[in-house]
Amino acid sequence: MKNPTTSRLDFLGEYAAWLLGCGATCIRIEKNINRMARAFGVDAGVAIMPRHIEIYARSPHGDLALPVVIRQAPHCGLNFTVNTRLSRLSWEVADGKIGYDEAVSRFAEITAAPPTPRNEVLLLASMANASFCRLFGGDLTAVLVVFVATLAGFKLKQMMMADRRDIRLVFLCCAFFSAAICAGAHIFEWGSTPEIALGTSVLYLIPGVPYINSVSDLLACHYLCAFSRFVDALVLTACLSVGLCAGMYLLGLRMF
Amino acid sequence: MEPTLILRIFEDGLFAAIASIGFSSISNTPRRAYLCCGVTAAVGHAIRFILMEPGLAGMGIIWASTIAAFVIGILGVLLAPTVKCPAEVCLCPALLPMIPGMYAYRAVAATISCLSATDEPAFNHYLYLLNYNGMTCVFVIIGMVVAVNLPVFMMKRISFQATR
Repeated sequence: MKNPTTSRLDFLGEYAAWLLGCGATCIRIEKNINRMARAFGVDAGVAIMPRHIEIYARSPHGDLALPVVIRQAPHCGLNFTVNTRLSRLSWEVADGKIGYDEAVSRFAEITAAPPTPRNEVLLLASMANASFCRLFGGDLTAVLVVFVATLAGFKLKQMMMADRRDIRLVFLCCAFFSAAICAGAHIFEWGSTPEIALGTSVLYLIPGVPYINSVSDLLACHYLCAFSRFVDALVLTACLSVGLCAGMYLLGLRMF
Repeated sequence: MEPTLILRIFEDGLFAAIASIGFSSISNTPRRAYLCCGVTAAVGHAIRFILMEPGLAGMGIIWASTIAAFVIGILGVLLAPTVKCPAEVCLCPALLPMIPGMYAYRAVAATISCLSATDEPAFNHYLYLLNYNGMTCVFVIIGMVVAVNLPVFMMKRISFQATR
């Protein structure tokens, strides 16, 4: 049977790995872990790597060998709901509202919760990209074309993600699909702003949150994670750019 | 201020709010934070619009985006405790409608045109377009992401106690 410190460290490791996996910033992971560890009466520290979490306990007198817990971040994708609920859980533990056992069962409940319904996300994302087109000065035709292109591209993304395809391939294919639809509208000269429709068609794929998080990590001096998140986002941006260019090339569209 | 200008500012804010709510749903944002994201995005984008309008402040897109992102950061941090969400939940989706998408698109298109140019004047022209659009895009993004994060670090107490 595990001793209480080891089981608490295990829990903190799982908790931190989920926070990292759902896209929390390094400073938030550190603060949440530290406040929970204090409440559990464990003097713990956390090392955050790009894909892994390491939780270690410090012995008060330095004379006791305590275990180190290493956990891999789950591939759960960006999830602000999980981030929010896990952060709230850390405060409930820190404020003494719930104990260790209750925290463990609450954690299991949070990580098992279903994500936002797919059709709701599909519709809202399509409306968002269509609004984006309008913000860039697109006319009504361009807005409608972008809506349809995003609907098709995002549906493909959901299907490929459900099939567990490589994320880079997903971004490339979705960008290609959406760009090809908008390039078609460009060729048939629908509306007066087809260039704006084409430029906006792939913007729903821009990994904005990882870029923002990478700067947050940079400001918190977590350079390794900052660099990792930045490169991840850069690779995805490159993939969607290749998809966009391929869509334009296929339909023989002149760039300028 | 002319009524048409007010209408344009309102329209800008409205579409930014819709875009923000849509992008927030992609990141599985809690539904109760949608309104907060929408309001923050609308205010931020409207501020950028006013700052860039030639008849008003007439600023360039880089500084206008940076200032607007800073306002989004402050609003996101201040509104986060009202919806009991981390500050990032409110400010990240609100920032996304300000991404300089058309500059990015033109930079990509200029790169391809540059590589397929057959004579020097055409190559130089596309290289100029690549530099102009690419640099603008990069500096807008740098200004935005740094400015939006600063309030989180300036108001750590509010930022990290929002879910309490």
